[in-house]
Amino acid sequence: MGLDRRSFLSLVAGGVVGSLATPVVWKTLDDVSIWSQNWPWIPRLKYGEETLLPSLCKLGTDAYGVQVKLVAGHPVAAYGNPEHPLSRGGICPLGAASVQLLYSPSRVRSPKKRVGDSFEDISWEEAEALLTEQLKAAGKDVALVSGDDTGSAAEVLAGLVAALGSEQTYFMPSEGAAAAAALGLLGGDGLVGYDLEGADYVLLLGADALGAWGTTLRNAKAFADGRERAVRVVYVGPAMTATAAVADAWIPCTPGTEGVVAMGLANMILERRALSNVAGLEQFRKQAAGFSPDVVATRSGVAPETLLGLAKELLVAGKPLVVPGTTAAQGLAVSDAAAALAVNVLLDRINMPGGVMVLPWGPKVVAAAPDKKAMMGRDVVGYLAAVAAGNAPAPKVLLVHAANPAYALPDLKTIQTALDKAGFVVSFSSFMDETAAQADLILPDSLTYERYDDAYTPYGSGQANYTMAAPILKQPLFATKAAADVALGVAAKAGVDLGFASFEEVLKAKAEALGLDFEAAATGTVWLGTEFAVQQLDLAKVQAPALQESATDVTLVPVANLKIGSPKVATPPFGTNVISPRELQGKDMVVAMNAATASKLGVRAGDAVTLSGAGGECRARVRIFEGVVDGAVMAPLGLGHTAWDAFSRGKGANVFQILGTQTDVAGFTRFATAPVGVRKA
Amino acid sequence: MANSKSSVVLPFLVGVVASLVLGWWAFPKVLYSQKTQPIRFDHVVHVEDQAMTCDQCHTFRENGSFAGLPTTQSCADCHSDVQGEDPEEERFVTEYVQQGKEVEWLVYQYQPDNVYFSHIAHKDIECTKCHLDVANMKNPPVYYENRISGYSKNTMKMWECERCHAQNGASNACFVCHK
Repeated sequence: MGLDRRSFLSLVAGGVVGSLATPVVWKTLDDVSIWSQNWPWIPRLKYGEETLLPSLCKLGTDAYGVQVKLVAGHPVAAYGNPEHPLSRGGICPLGAASVQLLYSPSRVRSPKKRVGDSFEDISWEEAEALLTEQLKAAGKDVALVSGDDTGSAAEVLAGLVAALGSEQTYFMPSEGAAAAAALGLLGGDGLVGYDLEGADYVLLLGADALGAWGTTLRNAKAFADGRERAVRVVYVGPAMTATAAVADAWIPCTPGTEGVVAMGLANMILERRALSNVAGLEQFRKQAAGFSPDVVATRSGVAPETLLGLAKELLVAGKPLVVPGTTAAQGLAVSDAAAALAVNVLLDRINMPGGVMVLPWGPKVVAAAPDKKAMMGRDVVGYLAAVAAGNAPAPKVLLVHAANPAYALPDLKTIQTALDKAGFVVSFSSFMDETAAQADLILPDSLTYERYDDAYTPYGSGQANYTMAAPILKQPLFATKAAADVALGVAAKAGVDLGFASFEEVLKAKAEALGLDFEAAATGTVWLGTEFAVQQLDLAKVQAPALQESATDVTLVPVANLKIGSPKVATPPFGTNVISPRELQGKDMVVAMNAATASKLGVRAGDAVTLSGAGGECRARVRIFEGVVDGAVMAPLGLGHTAWDAFSRGKGANVFQILGTQTDVAGFTRFATAPVGVRKA
Repeated sequence: MANSKSSVVLPFLVGVVASLVLGWWAFPKVLYSQKTQPIRFDHVVHVEDQAMTCDQCHTFRENGSFAGLPTTQSCADCHSDVQGEDPEEERFVTEYVQQGKEVEWLVYQYQPDNVYFSHIAHKDIECTKCHLDVANMKNPPVYYENRISGYSKNTMKMWECERCHAQNGASNACFVCHK
């Protein structure tokens, strides 16, 4: 019997019918549908034991404790640390993105040296040898710019630079430095802190306490607690910031005149309260007398009756506190800080519960390092401007640590000139930031979760505190090293003895100096200081803020916002989801002004404008917002990166480009606000 | 006519039978690759000889999440050195414990990432309702891996979850399992 065509077709038909009663078709379809969901690029969850380890977040201008959640040893999220006094369970937008930033595409994954216009990956041995060679050749012509003014890593690096014979060690600008300088101006000595928890009346003179100023998370907790205690919070400033929006009262003032308001208040207090035991009172009284209510009203826009109301509230409050600051969280005038401090002195609020607390500088363990007080007292903007102008020798080697001066300093064109003049720029950046992108050598620092780190008393703290963080990861994710360990290694190679073989040893010494058990500190125990140095402040030394009218019609008010970034870190991927059209539209930064200012400038909502300042020009779009005073243009800081990654690069403009500077007292530079020109683009 | 009928029916039946045989017998053999566990773990010696209970190794963590398989470190609590004469135990100690390596156990019931399964919510149900009865096995069962989907043959399908939920009055809403 042969298989004819009919039999074959029947066989096939039978096969098909039979197969329908088997799993072949159905199972294959099902499996193919599952296979189609299993692309190799889809991230896979890690399963395993979940642990919470304490660490630090120093990505913003603050430093506070966090808890990092690990699953099977892999960090997956960071939370606020309820046990840490500066977090109390809160976390800032950068802290929330801190684990994500470990894997940021802009991380520098190995040491790099410049070859022409690009970089070449090199080994750590080669990188350290190159730095050693450059330092030996430079002799004492070495400088350091660090953005870590709470950590011991800067102490190690500054120790190296000082041991080489240089005094050119600087921190990036901070309000803490300006406040300490103001205290020093009055004859005091120490870090300036504020007992926000103890005060029953808080007058914020520009300090955007719930934005990016000081111990931001702790400020918010103190503010929330204060609600239950009926603490009154009054904000004085040129724009309705995050703080002004929720304060009990917002008193608008002309940009940059918070110090004038402080002097006006001092004048009123002196008229209403008899004081005798204040040093330099009579000289100060003469200074304050120049700030009559009418003068203050003319200069600041704060009406005499409003000023009088504030003065009365301060006088009747049991524990009033006056806090100076800026919306930019940097660039504060020392004279403004001194004026606010003087008001606190008149109210007898120095080292009193709920007052201004003068905190010790903290122990120094690297003998060669300059005192922190000396380092904080130097003005990096002034130094780099002098280098740019040829008034100071350009360093042959410039070490840049935890800082991005090519992006985050005012009058950026001048800063850029200074950086160009530096012989050999070494960046310790963990990320390919603007400074790293133009450096001659990049020695990528491990991030806090990958190494030891510490923080002593971030600016604003009500009492001295010290937090240490041990590495959470067994190994750094990439070929990175702790900058302090690199500095110690290079020092040894250069024949400089800094007294320590590793950063861990430095931190052990620091813990010992504070009387803190190292193991306890490394596992999250926070040291809290209870000593407040007695101060003999002399108000005769106050250098009152200038009273002359601004030469410009329009003033730029930069506002720092941690969801956009900080001077150290650009917008993380998480941040892109929360930047609103009020800050960024397409590729354009959005600046806010009120309708009267817009009308005066001849612009409307949505118009593209060019902002021009001392440093140059940038593009923006106009938003009309009545929460900005007449003659002010509010602009977000943190946009306009040219390096980093796709999440931040090319979005908006860098306000630092146009932000001009003013020379202030005590050798500091003021740049919290600056004149700006606005014209249609 | 009879000839004509037989030339249609018989091949049809042959086709049906052949495809049934191929579909039910040969197809699974082609579809699944067979794998064995990296270590021949003997549950019986632990459960019967050492009188251990399931939850001594398959524990819940403090937060209620299920630890699943024990880590090498957990096993090393007893097996820091070789205890018996089983060569597999010796291999485990030398190749994993002493080298600090985790065993890449093949998990018969591994669910995809988009399924959130809480063991503690199902703790009153017999383990063997879903899992193979490995506690009574001296040798681990063969692991059948689907060549197309990559999942274990024993991975529970969604309809099985839904059926049990329906039978027990538990919600079958999407978010119960897909977070």
